[in-house]
Amino acid sequence: MPDAFGLAAIVTKFALYLGVMTATGTVMATLMFRLDRTRGLAAAFAVLGLAATILAFSLRGANLTGDLSGMTDPEMLGLLWTTPVGTALLLRLVGLGMLIAGLFMGRVGAWVSALGGVLAIWSFDHVGHISSRDTTLLDIALTLHLLTVALWIGVLTPLKRLASLPDTFNMAANVGHRFGVVATATVPALIIVGGYMGYQLVGSFTALIGTGYGQALIIKVLLIGCLLGLAAANKLRFIPALRAGDPAAASHLSKSISVEWLVILAVLGTTAFLTTHLTLPA
Amino acid sequence: MKAILLAGMIGIWATGAMAHSPLDATTPANEAIVTEMPTEVLMNFKGDIRLTRVAITHADTHSMDMDLGEQTAFTQEFALPMHDMGAGTYVIEWRGLGVDGHALNGTFSFTVE
Repeated sequence: MPDAFGLAAIVTKFALYLGVMTATGTVMATLMFRLDRTRGLAAAFAVLGLAATILAFSLRGANLTGDLSGMTDPEMLGLLWTTPVGTALLLRLVGLGMLIAGLFMGRVGAWVSALGGVLAIWSFDHVGHISSRDTTLLDIALTLHLLTVALWIGVLTPLKRLASLPDTFNMAANVGHRFGVVATATVPALIIVGGYMGYQLVGSFTALIGTGYGQALIIKVLLIGCLLGLAAANKLRFIPALRAGDPAAASHLSKSISVEWLVILAVLGTTAFLTTHLTLPA
Repeated sequence: MKAILLAGMIGIWATGAMAHSPLDATTPANEAIVTEMPTEVLMNFKGDIRLTRVAITHADTHSMDMDLGEQTAFTQEFALPMHDMGAGTYVIEWRGLGVDGHALNGTFSFTVE
């Protein structure tokens, strides 16, 4: 069982994932689907990501000393800075800084924000279980995986907002339809890439069943199965009904997105536990 | 479904607790019983690590931090001088940083008769 610092590290990692993925995804969705009024949303989650980035780095310092003094100990933090953890910190600070700055720079700013988001997501290649394998293919797989997930997360809140007002039902149907088209390519990619990473990291069916890491991965896959079911309902039932002018479909879509959000939070929580507390099967 | 998820989470929690074990061997060995107080404790790790804190507790009462002033490099082997606090069980709690940036920690003990 993790100690107090271990628990704090898991919670902070969860906030980091939520902040970076939602901010980047919102920026990507805004660019791809020409969404309005997403600046506040992206900025709020980017600030959450920045705060979690700094706290996570500081907590690693506390992990090195075993008490709170490590959070501000220049020797411990300086030591961490020399490792890949320092590189990830730099990429996240610069990336999320660019993402926020881009939100206030007009049309070109959208691309600055997107580039910042990609940098922040790329930081995950530098620390964790994937980086320890030191293979370019796995690094590319992880970045693709995260960008695809980010887009999925990023489109949810704007779509729910559009589906909550009768004036924007048409736009909700349009955005939902276009995301559905994109998803026919990105979701299979997500599954293939996720399966490849899982196989590379866990290695065998025995390890999948018999280790904490494998079991957490099974839970994650079950949750993603739920997400795919909800996404299929949106794509095959609610969005077509909304496009056909059925106002009740908007309410169903909105509720479905709320449940999707809950499942996504559970997926991010499981991932934070997986990457923070558990080690890979030997 | 809920019961399966709950059982899974408990299983993960339990196995995760014993997951981190980067320490290959120690001298004296973990839970060894020795007749004389060793002048130093040797720690061999599976990979390069920089020790950041080592605390020794004697007979559940006296606890002190070891001076790591000279341990300033990432390496696999450490020899830490011991202070004789008499017979009883010595528990050594260590913390360190792996070259990949992972924070590592662990505990081992030995008893002096």
